[in-house]
Amino acid sequence: MGSSLYSMPMRLRMTRAERADAPIGFGRQSTSRRGAKELSYTRMTLNYLIPPYPAFMSVRIKAGRGRHTPIMKNVSADLERSKEALKKMLPADDFLTFEFASPKLSFCVLFADPLTDKDLLGEQVIRPLRQYTGAPRAEEVLKALSSPEAKTEKSLEKLAEEVLIGNPVVLFSDMDMGVVVGTKKIPVRAIAEPPTDVTLKGPREGFIEDFKTNTALIRRRLKTGELKIDTTDVGRRSSTTVAVCYLEGTAPKATVEAVKQKLQGIDIDIIPDSSYLTHFLASRPYSLVKQVGTTEKPDIFCAKLAEGRVGLIVDGSPIALTVPYLLIEDFQSSEDYFVPPYRATFTRLLRLFALLVAIYLPAFYVSAQLFKLQLFPVKLLLTIAGSIRDIPFSPSLEMLLVLLVLEVLNEASIRMPKYVGMALSVVGALVLGETAVSAGFVSTPAIIIIAFSGIGLYAVPNLIEQTSVLRLAMLLVAGSVGTYGVLLATAFVILYLVTTENFSAPLVAPFSPLRGRDLRDSLIKYNLGSLEMRPQTLKSPNRRRLS
Amino acid sequence: MRFKRFLQTVPMKLWLILTAVVLFAFFSNDFGLVDIQKTAIILAAGIDKTDEGFSVTAQIAVPKGSDRTTGGTSSVEIQAEGETVSDCISLIFSKTGWVPKLVFCDLIVLGEDAVKEEDIISHLNYFLRNDYMPDSCLLAVCEGKAGELISSTSAIDDASSLAIEKLFSEAAVKSGRVLTNTLKDFAIDYYGVSKCSYLPYVRMEEQEGGQNDSQTAAGGSGSSGGSGGSGGEKQQIYSAEQTALFKEGRMVGLLPQEQTLALSLLEGNVFTGTFNAKDGTMPVTLTVVRNEGGVKLDSAHAPKAELSLSVTVRLCCRGVTAPVEDIASDSVSPKILESAKKTLTGYVQTLWDMGKESGCDIFGLTRMLYRSSLKKYEEWKDVLLSAVTPVIETEVLSMK
Amino acid sequence: MNKISARQLLFFLACVAPVGKIVLLPARLADTSKNDLLFPLLAAYLLQAAAVFCTLLVAKRGMSFAELLENTFGRVVSKILLTVFALFLLFAGLLPVLEQKVMVQSVFYDTLPSLVAFAPYFLFAVYVLSKPLASHGRVWDILAPLAIFGLAGILVLSAASADFSALAPVGAAGQKGFFEGTMSAMAWFFDAALLLPLLGKFDYEKGLAWKGTLCYLAGGAAVLLFTAIFWGIFQETAPNQLFAFTVTSRYFPGVTTLGRIDYLFIFALALVMAFYVTLPLQGSIECALEAYGRPRYLPTLLAIGVTAVFLTLDVLLDYRFTEVLDGVTKWAFWVMPLFSVVIPPLLLLLRRRRRAV
Repeated sequence: MGSSLYSMPMRLRMTRAERADAPIGFGRQSTSRRGAKELSYTRMTLNYLIPPYPAFMSVRIKAGRGRHTPIMKNVSADLERSKEALKKMLPADDFLTFEFASPKLSFCVLFADPLTDKDLLGEQVIRPLRQYTGAPRAEEVLKALSSPEAKTEKSLEKLAEEVLIGNPVVLFSDMDMGVVVGTKKIPVRAIAEPPTDVTLKGPREGFIEDFKTNTALIRRRLKTGELKIDTTDVGRRSSTTVAVCYLEGTAPKATVEAVKQKLQGIDIDIIPDSSYLTHFLASRPYSLVKQVGTTEKPDIFCAKLAEGRVGLIVDGSPIALTVPYLLIEDFQSSEDYFVPPYRATFTRLLRLFALLVAIYLPAFYVSAQLFKLQLFPVKLLLTIAGSIRDIPFSPSLEMLLVLLVLEVLNEASIRMPKYVGMALSVVGALVLGETAVSAGFVSTPAIIIIAFSGIGLYAVPNLIEQTSVLRLAMLLVAGSVGTYGVLLATAFVILYLVTTENFSAPLVAPFSPLRGRDLRDSLIKYNLGSLEMRPQTLKSPNRRRLS
Repeated sequence: MRFKRFLQTVPMKLWLILTAVVLFAFFSNDFGLVDIQKTAIILAAGIDKTDEGFSVTAQIAVPKGSDRTTGGTSSVEIQAEGETVSDCISLIFSKTGWVPKLVFCDLIVLGEDAVKEEDIISHLNYFLRNDYMPDSCLLAVCEGKAGELISSTSAIDDASSLAIEKLFSEAAVKSGRVLTNTLKDFAIDYYGVSKCSYLPYVRMEEQEGGQNDSQTAAGGSGSSGGSGGSGGEKQQIYSAEQTALFKEGRMVGLLPQEQTLALSLLEGNVFTGTFNAKDGTMPVTLTVVRNEGGVKLDSAHAPKAELSLSVTVRLCCRGVTAPVEDIASDSVSPKILESAKKTLTGYVQTLWDMGKESGCDIFGLTRMLYRSSLKKYEEWKDVLLSAVTPVIETEVLSMK
Repeated sequence: MNKISARQLLFFLACVAPVGKIVLLPARLADTSKNDLLFPLLAAYLLQAAAVFCTLLVAKRGMSFAELLENTFGRVVSKILLTVFALFLLFAGLLPVLEQKVMVQSVFYDTLPSLVAFAPYFLFAVYVLSKPLASHGRVWDILAPLAIFGLAGILVLSAASADFSALAPVGAAGQKGFFEGTMSAMAWFFDAALLLPLLGKFDYEKGLAWKGTLCYLAGGAAVLLFTAIFWGIFQETAPNQLFAFTVTSRYFPGVTTLGRIDYLFIFALALVMAFYVTLPLQGSIECALEAYGRPRYLPTLLAIGVTAVFLTLDVLLDYRFTEVLDGVTKWAFWVMPLFSVVIPPLLLLLRRRRRAV
């Protein structure tokens, strides 16, 4: 095997004996499936995962679908032939070659222009090789290089894979071996506070799109050998690296295996974001209900792993996934654990209240006007009656229109460039709000109701996709059948939720099935000292977390 | 295989159909529903007896519109005549096109004629049967025609009904100057063993003052809609210090203000109510700061009613000049207390006499007897009022 | 999700089952037994509690209802008995469904709505009935706090308006009133029969029979308290107050200023009721499935079929609710006790050991 840790060819399959010899953390499993489709899990542990760990560990060109069949399999001693073969495999314009020579040898560097750190390439590879006077032997060449990440490789296919992920390949005259150098430089943004999970107290770091950075953020928080990060590639064309993270001995084995199996079963061309995976991980893929937890914050991610969940980090996505997901998770914020428990309890109840109000307020307002005036106190009723007297639409249609306007404004304000935002606020608040009321298109109460509902929805931001649809559905039902319809729709939602399970965890646990001890960190938040056990729902083999 | 594939797509198809149905229902919006814009929100109803049957005057709230800059409630009064109360309500619908909704009807006023001649349960039957009407609404009798009272222009509120309801507020009840009753409680008394009850008796007095913008369309059976405010109409104020006594649904007596107070005191309801006593020959006003009262029936031998009331009073107003230290003191002299006791005992005695005279079991003695002993009830139920002897115990204490 | 836990069963007995008894029953009892209405209610509860105790004792054997019958009577007879029982549960479900319909029409609308307004209930019913019976266990976990919230809220808002002395004198309605009341009440008491299809779907825990009976009686105590308050509020006019739990709280002083806040509790109980009402129908389907096997689509087809039957009955009996009520309480009063009071103790006499196959 490779002479150094970083020169170890990660994608090579190892025999059992080899795996035993390999450094800790590189014992890997490889599973062949459906011919060309091949998935591997790479287990990495603490010491070997502090970046930069081998960058050339993930992407591969697979035989079969949409790939380039090499004219010859391995590098030949004829530099020209090898170069031509590689160029044919990588014919795009942004794959560049640079040829140079030392007193004794000729070299050709092949690299992907946008992904390679050319300064580093010049400094660590080209400069030393220009002065290389040794024999054309791989071991000596490697010693001559200044790069800590270098390895030799014979297979042209594998060399092409390395170029694709950004690692330059050096070919030599008179040597049937290429050298891969780890000078990849993928543009990444800085670690910042995630916009979807802002917190006043507590860590402000958020995941970014870079896989390495994300795993590093996790490692920094979980300095234990029990943390396992098994990687696999998903996506026929994207070969997106997906890391299955869990704490061995804390996460139930069954859940880990189930996650891996589901990942294995994914047959899709690309995975542009982690949200693609949620479809495959859900037990009810077409459901409106969220079945996979998401977070952008490493502290939350680690806390969930510590509870016995399994996490997934997807290369190119700042959103990490966690399973099993419980509905209550989205009512918990990381901040709840940094403030006194009574405050946390209050805010959690407030979130629930806000969410219920957001979903039901427009519906009840409409059904009260249409079917059950008694839901209003008489004076409020008269005020409302006065407001809607000149409105040309029925109460239900009016509310639907205002709701649609709010959704449009919401959608536009998210996508709109920031400098237009001010104009949008003016248009939204003044033109669509005040003017519409004065013009008699909509009534003031309708706008107040929708505004309150709109704000309430954001009390639980992770559920917005679901709750906004639910709000619309409730409104439609209320406008059609009235309060009883809303009640039945609620009953339907309850039944649906309680019968939804994912990875053997009931979605609405700990309320149904009732888990008394788990209630301590549900809508009610006990003091940290009282949370001595991990959630029973997650079936962790290691129940106790506080002794 | 094809069938299996079909079955797999069934849930999705069902969802689509369901969504389509909901959307259709939403936009067609018609399950016979009566929304807020088609509704006449009846705030109060006045019932009078006519030769043909009944006349019902409904006070309907009229929204002020979105440009409203002031508060308050506009209302319009619609009158309709028919053979039954239900007829009248239907007629209001046909006249206005608004569906009358009684869910917010908080006051039913019965005209004097309607309560003297017939059992008023026949008038109230419609309201008692109506599932969509709260039986917690207040019930009252008025001097003259209920329609006129409901249609009158109040000096103190936009709608007459709201002004009248103020008379029946919790604070008014605690003053001891008014006794209120609801449709439910009246019905309970009526259908109970005593078959007696009471209702506040509302009077209307003219008040010189400005005109009101309330629209009035009272009049004959054909009148409807909102004609303009009748110019120069006198504003009215209302009082309900008298209490009408009912036996078997018919009005059998009228309690004056003093007996209304006495009954309130016996019920133990009074707080901050006032009454007058004498300081020698000069009148003094006392404020009740604590009141306990009760009526007990001792049916062990010959039935005996114990009417006991205890009040703690403070001096509220003296009809003589007094030094400043006297003003600062709340305590009442024994002389005044004695006079107060005498006054209250007199009130209670008159109250008892009025009940006996009218045959109205004001104190619910029959009910007490029924609840205490079925056997005694059977024995005494027909002669109880005449056989029972009252024992009046009055205690007037001064606030220290 | 294939099993109901003992806790969920107790939740059902203590919290969900009482909800069916606070709609029309109090008014009906007020009509027949006047101020003595608590006695027939208590009698019905005690009888039913005994039946619940027997049913839970039967559960100790770990056999399903079908297995119990088959073990003693053989396959053919058990099929017949299961079919009869399924029909009984359909019969038992009729009154609650119609009762719910008239309640919805009265409570959820200001004016009498069209028949279509109640139609969505049947859509919901199809969905519930197509789920496994044991999934109700999870629902009960949610419904129990809802029921407690609703009932406690209504009791708190109503209690101050009640005159409990109106319950006196004892015995005013006489024996006739007591027996008529008990007969009427029986139409609402079939909870032990509802437990029979659940046999085998929950594991018997030590003392479950006692716990279950006590929970059922605790729920009964809440119903008794509510009924006492109901009479205390309405007294002689109580027979006119059809939907008891929706009317007692409206005299709370806060209602005047805040509006009908009590609707929050009423809606909570109505939500519980929506599930409770489907239980006899689901029990009936379960019996049919136990008798005739479970091909893949049969549960769904049966769910649709049963719902269609009830939808038809709902349409046909739209204006005949009073006749149905009279029919069930006066003429067919013996049906409920026969199946829900007599059969459970008899099940204890069935063969204990599993017959060798």
